[in-house]
Amino acid sequence: MVIDLVFFTSVAILMISAMGVITSNNPVHSALFLVSCFFQSSVLWLLLEAEFLAIALIVIYVGAVMVLFLYVVMMLDIRKNEHKQSVSSILPIGIGISILFIAELIFALSGTNVVQTRDTGVLSNPNNTEALGIELYTNYLVEFELASIILLLGIIAAISLTLHRRPGLKKQDISQQVSVSKKDRLKVVQVRSGEGA
Amino acid sequence: MSVNDYFIISIFLFAIAVAGIFINRKNLILILMCVELILLSVNFNFIAFSEIYQDFSGQIFVFFILTVAAAEAAIGLAILITLFRHKKSIYIDDLNELKG
Amino acid sequence: MQLLLSLIFIPLLMSILVGVFGDFISKRLSHVLTILGVLISFICSVMLLNDFLITQQTQDILLFNWSIIGEIEFQIGFLVDSLSLAMASMITFVSLMVHIYTIGYMEHDEGYKRFFSYISLFTFSMLMLIFSNNLLQLFFGWEAVGLVSYLLIGFWFKKPSAIHANMKAFIVNRVGDLGFIIGIAIIVYYTGSLHLGEIFSQLSSIEGQLISILPSSSWNAVTVASICLFIGAMGKSAQMPLHVWLPDSMEGPTPISALIHAATMVTAGIFLIARMSPLIELSSIALSFILIIGSLTAFFMGLLGLVQNDIKRVVAYSTLSQLGYMTAALGVSAYSVGIYHLITHGFFKALLFLGAGSVIIALHHEQDIRQMGGLRKKLPITYITFLIGTLSLIGFPGFSGFFSKDTLIEAVHLSEQGGSHLSYYLLLMGVLITTLYSMRLLFLVFHGKYRSTHYPLAKVHETPWVVTLPLLLLAIPSIFLGGLIIDPMIMGGYFSGAIFVSPENQSLQEFIDIYHGVIEFIIHAFVASPAIYLMLLGILISWLIWYKNFSLPKQFASLIKALETVFKNKYYFDYLYENIFSQNIILLGKMLHKWVDAHLIDSVFVLGSARTVQQISSKTRQLHTGDLTQVALIFFVLLVIFTAFWIS
Repeated sequence: MVIDLVFFTSVAILMISAMGVITSNNPVHSALFLVSCFFQSSVLWLLLEAEFLAIALIVIYVGAVMVLFLYVVMMLDIRKNEHKQSVSSILPIGIGISILFIAELIFALSGTNVVQTRDTGVLSNPNNTEALGIELYTNYLVEFELASIILLLGIIAAISLTLHRRPGLKKQDISQQVSVSKKDRLKVVQVRSGEGA
Repeated sequence: MSVNDYFIISIFLFAIAVAGIFINRKNLILILMCVELILLSVNFNFIAFSEIYQDFSGQIFVFFILTVAAAEAAIGLAILITLFRHKKSIYIDDLNELKG
Repeated sequence: MQLLLSLIFIPLLMSILVGVFGDFISKRLSHVLTILGVLISFICSVMLLNDFLITQQTQDILLFNWSIIGEIEFQIGFLVDSLSLAMASMITFVSLMVHIYTIGYMEHDEGYKRFFSYISLFTFSMLMLIFSNNLLQLFFGWEAVGLVSYLLIGFWFKKPSAIHANMKAFIVNRVGDLGFIIGIAIIVYYTGSLHLGEIFSQLSSIEGQLISILPSSSWNAVTVASICLFIGAMGKSAQMPLHVWLPDSMEGPTPISALIHAATMVTAGIFLIARMSPLIELSSIALSFILIIGSLTAFFMGLLGLVQNDIKRVVAYSTLSQLGYMTAALGVSAYSVGIYHLITHGFFKALLFLGAGSVIIALHHEQDIRQMGGLRKKLPITYITFLIGTLSLIGFPGFSGFFSKDTLIEAVHLSEQGGSHLSYYLLLMGVLITTLYSMRLLFLVFHGKYRSTHYPLAKVHETPWVVTLPLLLLAIPSIFLGGLIIDPMIMGGYFSGAIFVSPENQSLQEFIDIYHGVIEFIIHAFVASPAIYLMLLGILISWLIWYKNFSLPKQFASLIKALETVFKNKYYFDYLYENIFSQNIILLGKMLHKWVDAHLIDSVFVLGSARTVQQISSKTRQLHTGDLTQVALIFFVLLVIFTAFWIS
């Protein structure tokens, strides 16, 4: 009973937040609505017994990605409602197509038999994190490593795209420093006594 | 509250997010946010199936999707910033250089 | 085998050497090389002929398979038999004589080495044609001799008349070649092979086949093929109406007139019909056609020789007339007589041409016979040899031409082929006319008073030995060859392996039955055939008109004048071809250029397609609005459609 209540509340707020994301005038509002979506999703995943992922969602998505979004929004200094035409002219068509799509998929779903099994099986392990960890590190080790490389790639790409070299700035070029040779720096000169400098 | 409901949530989220992509006339960041929503809806789907088949694969895949989504958001925003530096605007109608 | 290959390919080698390296070698070396090449060819052909006479063995040699397309094999191969060897001997001998003659004739010409290269190339082409054992190679030789003839007629290419003549020769030849190709195509279609041996072995099976030319009428395939092949022969051997190129071909230097237009190229057509005799014997319609065309040519072309004033043109029309005789012989299935006359004619006509050339250079390039006369004392060797040639041509008893001509006329007389009676009378009249123009030429050039106003008589002297030696060497076979070879060639069945005569056309057989030897033949000619009397009558008339200069009575004179106009216009054939056919085709070409080329292809297709692409693309371009969200919408719409398909 309580679970049902929690479920429906979460779903309702989720839908409202999603609508809010796409209809807000202010991008900061859109970002905040998105944060709310994530929170509700986390609740729903808890109901599906995916505890680790629920927490991971909050930590990663809200904690890192949405913060990044907000940074960018504020940095780009977008004026709210800059231009008059804020609603696209293809709104009716878009809504129509979306409704059509939803109908299609629900129709597809209704024909299938989804088996419900509960309380038996792997996912009932109360320590979801530990079970997930065992699974991840034994069967999916390679993919795990690859994921880490993808993150590395992300870092490199993001930095190299946005690196902004200001002209006239003095800084060290490590590679040049390392590749120097003795004859570029040192010159032995015979100096007679009394004639220096 | 059957598992089917989660599928419906997934469908709705997806449709809303995709609609959001093309009915917005405001700015480019909204598109990136809608992409995040799409990924979220897909995650819902995976976890629901993982619950049905009592298999961990779904949850692990969500794990990876989270990873990749984070990386992709970072890079997407980096590109956005670069674009902004050149065009001084991220308003959609200003980005029409592919107009033939 | 070695002999055969060196026979055919050494002239080609010499031609290429002299042609490519001509700038680096001296004139002397160029003529030594080519003459050496043709001499080797001649010796090889005589040796091969000797071998053949001993062993009587026909060889069909395959050199290599060129390609196989569908079921038809294209091969390069050689057929060494009585026919090809006889012709090869004649061709190489005449070619050798012409090569030697050219040293003197073209001495001061700047195209000296090029000329030698061309005439060696011509010898090669003709030999390829003669020795080929399949129709493809024969056609190659055919075209090659046509090409070299074109190059040689227009040798002095800076003269516009020479260019006109060589284009005319090539184009008229082409018209004949069209018939030839159609004939080859029909043969290949029905027999599935280009190889002569294979074709002839299948003849009994294709005898009754019908081919439909127009949708409603169907003819016998063999008849159609034979007539088409003969059309090719008409183009090459200058029968009416495709004869118009030969007189104009006198624009080329005299040695080539002797080589190509007397002895070799124009005989290719006769050779072709003789070679294809098994096929043509099956169709009596084709044989009658050949007979009639041949005899008409013999008669009418001879008449034109009476009014020509250029020494070479007289001999050219004489050639046309004699070719008509040979064709008529083929038409009555007396193929061996036709080839026999071809061989003897080759010698004495080449002699006549070279003799004319000798006169021309002795008078410093004067060709008009009204400017000549009384050269008998000044050019003795030329005169004697020219006289010998003339006597052989008119069929004076004992000379070569007499044997071949009289046998020919007898064969036509005894034949029962359709049209043979008319032919017989035409050929007899032809004898008279031949005598008339030949003696006219002789009397006007060598007898009487010297009439030239351009060149003083004192300067005229006999031509150098390089010019007169070939004349002497050609005079010998002109006298003796006929009597010597009539026995083996005609009576002895020399050609029996190569030429086929069907049983119902054995007109020659009757003649062979009553033949008893050379002397008897001469006496028989006085008794049985009117030909010899016509010849004597002709000598008398021409002696009276052109030697004694009797003038004709007034009534005759006006008739002669009217006829003369017709003759001078060459029966208006040239007028028809040039003014009516050519002009209309040029007009058609201009109209096609204007309407099809400029309007249709340029405006509609080329520019039109560009414009259409432009219009379509300018409409399609508007789909690219550069609008990001629109792209996403299209993605989504397509996704929805795809899902719909996937669900259903």
